[in-house]
Amino acid sequence: MSFVDTSAALTVNPRARRRRLLRRRFARRPLAIIGLVVALAFILAAILAPWIAPYSAGATDFNALLAHSSSKHLLGTDELGRDVLSRIIWGARASIEAGVLATLLAMAVAVPVGIVAGYYRGWADAVIARLTDVLLAFPFLIVAVGLAAILGPSLTNATIALGIGAAPALIRVARGEALALREEDYVRAAVANGASDARILARHVLPNMLSTLIVQATVAIPTAIIGEAVLSFLGLGVQPPTPSWGVMLADAQSYLSQAPRLAVYPGVAIFLCSLSFNLLGDGLRDILDPRTTR
Amino acid sequence: MGGFLLRKAGAALIVVFISSVVVFAGVRALPGDPAIALGGENRDPAVVQAIRHTYGLDQPLPVQYVKWVGRALRGDLGLDARQLPVAHTIVTRIPITLELAFLSVLIGSLIGLLAGVIAAVRRGKISDHAATTSALVGLSLPHFWLGLMMIILFAVDLHWLPASGYVSFREHPLANLEHMLMPAVVLGTGLSAVLMRQTRSAMLTSLSADYVRTARAKGLAERSVVGKHALRNSLITVTTVIGLQLGALISGAVITEQIFVIPGFGRLTLEAINQRDYTLLQGVVLVAATGYVVVNLLVDVVYSLLNPRIRVSGATQ
Amino acid sequence: MKVSLGRFATFSLVVLCAAAAGAAVAAAHTSRSAADIRNGGTLTIGLAEEPDALDPTLARTFVGRIVFLSMCEKLYDLDSHLNIVPQLATALPQVSKDKLTYTIKLRKGVKFNDGTAFNAAAVKQTLERDLTLKGSVRASEISPIKTVDAPNTSTVVLHLSSPYSPLTAQLADRAGMILSPKALNAGGTFAQSPVCVGPFMFKDRVAGDHITVVKSPYYYDKAKVHLASIVYRIMTDPSSRTQALRAGDIQVEDRIQSTDVPTLQKNNGVTVPKAVTIGYQGLTINIGNKNGLLKPYSNVGSDIAKSQFIRSAFDAALDRTTINKVVFGGLNQPDCYPIAPVSPWYKPTTKGLACDLHANVDLAKKLVKASGISSPSVNLMLGGTDPVNARLGQVIQSMEAAVGIKVSVTPTEFTTALNRADAGNFDAFAVGWSGRVDPDGNIYGFVATKGTLNDSGYADSKLDYILNGARKSISTKSRDTLYRAAMQIIHRQRPLIYLYHPVNYYGVSKKVAGVQIYGDGLIRAAFAGYTK
Repeated sequence: MSFVDTSAALTVNPRARRRRLLRRRFARRPLAIIGLVVALAFILAAILAPWIAPYSAGATDFNALLAHSSSKHLLGTDELGRDVLSRIIWGARASIEAGVLATLLAMAVAVPVGIVAGYYRGWADAVIARLTDVLLAFPFLIVAVGLAAILGPSLTNATIALGIGAAPALIRVARGEALALREEDYVRAAVANGASDARILARHVLPNMLSTLIVQATVAIPTAIIGEAVLSFLGLGVQPPTPSWGVMLADAQSYLSQAPRLAVYPGVAIFLCSLSFNLLGDGLRDILDPRTTR
Repeated sequence: MGGFLLRKAGAALIVVFISSVVVFAGVRALPGDPAIALGGENRDPAVVQAIRHTYGLDQPLPVQYVKWVGRALRGDLGLDARQLPVAHTIVTRIPITLELAFLSVLIGSLIGLLAGVIAAVRRGKISDHAATTSALVGLSLPHFWLGLMMIILFAVDLHWLPASGYVSFREHPLANLEHMLMPAVVLGTGLSAVLMRQTRSAMLTSLSADYVRTARAKGLAERSVVGKHALRNSLITVTTVIGLQLGALISGAVITEQIFVIPGFGRLTLEAINQRDYTLLQGVVLVAATGYVVVNLLVDVVYSLLNPRIRVSGATQ
Repeated sequence: MKVSLGRFATFSLVVLCAAAAGAAVAAAHTSRSAADIRNGGTLTIGLAEEPDALDPTLARTFVGRIVFLSMCEKLYDLDSHLNIVPQLATALPQVSKDKLTYTIKLRKGVKFNDGTAFNAAAVKQTLERDLTLKGSVRASEISPIKTVDAPNTSTVVLHLSSPYSPLTAQLADRAGMILSPKALNAGGTFAQSPVCVGPFMFKDRVAGDHITVVKSPYYYDKAKVHLASIVYRIMTDPSSRTQALRAGDIQVEDRIQSTDVPTLQKNNGVTVPKAVTIGYQGLTINIGNKNGLLKPYSNVGSDIAKSQFIRSAFDAALDRTTINKVVFGGLNQPDCYPIAPVSPWYKPTTKGLACDLHANVDLAKKLVKASGISSPSVNLMLGGTDPVNARLGQVIQSMEAAVGIKVSVTPTEFTTALNRADAGNFDAFAVGWSGRVDPDGNIYGFVATKGTLNDSGYADSKLDYILNGARKSISTKSRDTLYRAAMQIIHRQRPLIYLYHPVNYYGVSKKVAGVQIYGDGLIRAAFAGYTK
């Protein structure tokens, strides 16, 4: 992160000026900064889990079942005597992985498809519109549940299901953007100058929808994180013994009256993680998307 | 207008048709032989074979599909593993989910609209920031977890509300509301967050629109400007948003019903998947998809009535 | 709170193994004299699963039998000691000397719950339906019946094609439930409005939610019936069942999950009767199931299949006491045998055999070394995606890790798991069996070469010889010896590793008297009532 880059401010380069402007706008949004910091913390926890988690995620201690928090186990232990804090840290992996990869997958599918539909229109648009309608006709969770059931429960398949689930909405966004951009003067000028479609799409259309896409992606990530938790909670995502916040919640359900704390920590983790991305996404939207600028 | 409607309806029919194929193929793609699921612990080969035959599982897939669609068109979705008519089961379950959806839309839109209007009117002030931030919090809360926490607090600890279950309104109206309160709040939170944001931005747009400025210039009281002009126009946008949230509502209902053990449509779906009840599952998903398409068609129609320009751009699709 | 999908599994491991025919000792009475019971009121029972078709000819589920108990009486019933006693019959059948003819006398003046008369013709029609209806689950249970005669309205004669001693026992279950001919002949789906003889009659059913039965005006012994109605609520989520019991929403809870048992035992308003089942829970090891169930068996070549040492080490690493403590709160009965200690067959068939309920880590390590396999690995398929299965898998995983066996766990939805097991697509499979009274029912199908449940693909001509001999033998003593010999082979070769016998716990509100749980694990509530 290059927040300290001040030299560029002196140049007259319009891009640099825009970047400086964006940074200033960003800096004026403490919530977005908090979001960024917390999101980064979760990402770091996921990457560094083997080094920062006090115990391995599967280390059981059958003599310390459902232990309260202590200096040995900061958040106590679960029903198999595993360290809850360690499992939360390890669990970040599944959440971040599912959140980021599902969003990337959805983007990879939705952006080209949406651009083709929006820019070329015609029969491609009609076909794509029908297909997205079909996808949207199935409530997202039912699609995800069905896919997980068909493909077999695993993090990878849950991620695929989440990606496919997120795609139709993104296709619509990308299509809408492409539809609006093709009417822009600079695109029309490029067409008049005889530029190739590929060049127009790459030089004019894609870059100009990028900010919208970034915002959409940041907003899609928390949805996918919660989606992963739901699927794992239902037994269709990450499979035990791999730790995941959703799995931890599912396990905790049997102990709601004995040890409700087991249901609290993973939920707080899911909440904070998705809130951080939402705060970041909201900040980015305000900054990048001129139409919603206040 | 007629042509537009026909085209929209035609498109909807195509979507329903493709959906029926997808449903049928998807259900067949589920691992786990339903005959084994139904065969009982002994898995007596003769019984398993008889089950295959009874449910037509021994016939070629296209034959099964055509038979199923043919009967479905006549409103007969077949008998499930309990020997109960699927159509009837669905019809008895849908009102429960509709009640849940209705209550959560009620709660969601009350909170969402109010917070949205306040935030827009008091834009930039503390109440705006508070509302916007709460909306983000609402969006980030995994609502199944919120449900668990509410159960711990209000049912397990305080004993204020029943932890789970369902009582029909006709049987006992008060008990019905007691059972539905927590689920509706859980499902309504997410919706209220989305609605708050939409209302706020719609209000901001209409508050800066010409007719509102004119109204203000005419010296109308601010309350009347906000209430009569800006809000009324924003409501159009918001109604559409509620329509479009239907899919999300159904998804939310699945897990909410699961957590609060409400025998609605969502839970029925999960039961059908678990029990590998092909007949039931096919019927359930087909009805869900068709319902969604029909509601969308209605939203399109209402929207085009409210806003004639859409018809033109929609027509080119 | 069952968050099923996985827990979804109506068939989760505990459920299935715990379920069915578990006969046991503890016959729990919440007995009080009838004078303390007032008439009227609705009893709500929270069932752990959803019953399937309410048609005794087609019904397969354990919970379905609980519902039938209140509305479909049988020719014979069980008493609290699991002896067979007459119900719609007036006495045990008179059996001819060649054991091919059974004469059954029926009660007179009995009416079906649609007001029509119960008589021999009705019994004949029902039994013939059981034998011939397509998809009848009863057909195989009473298949030796060749013809049914009704010489007069209160006598039924069954002609058998071959002697079949379990027949009376079958007539004390669903095969003995007699259906109203009027309802059968009406042409609708019987399961949608079943009519039998019973203290209660079917009122309505909302799929996935509840079944309601109301007191019958036609029942022959209706003075003994106190309740106005019974509602069977389907509550697949165990936590919410318990919460509902504590809140008073239900008065009887079917199978309490282990984590809730201590809480309820401390609860003053509730009694917690239990039933030790005759079933078992164990690990099926895939040894020879290479091509699928009942297809020619040959060693599959996995670490645990090819080495008997690895199987022994795997077993020695398991601490059954700890498994019971950690996974089930110490409520089940850890053991190494397919036959439960509650069975009279247990002692004679396990005499002189060793069963170590604790782990022997040193031995296990030595065995791993002796196997010559450097880092053995085993994939363990769990028959359910619920938390209990998950706990079981993880505990086993950590115990095996301690002796150098790497276990990966694959939680699998139950039906899919059965498919995979039948196809031979697994290393080890954690699955249970509800148990049968005769030892043959807990052994033969699983380890005999021709056993229809032999997912292990175990083929051993010596064991087959022993088991077939035990099937034919009538002498209890020689069967004892034969099953003990069979047990020794199973213990040496370990196509199955037995872990424990499930114990079922039920919750009954103290406001209610007369709810009975016998060793078969069924909830008997037809003659219960609210206390004054």
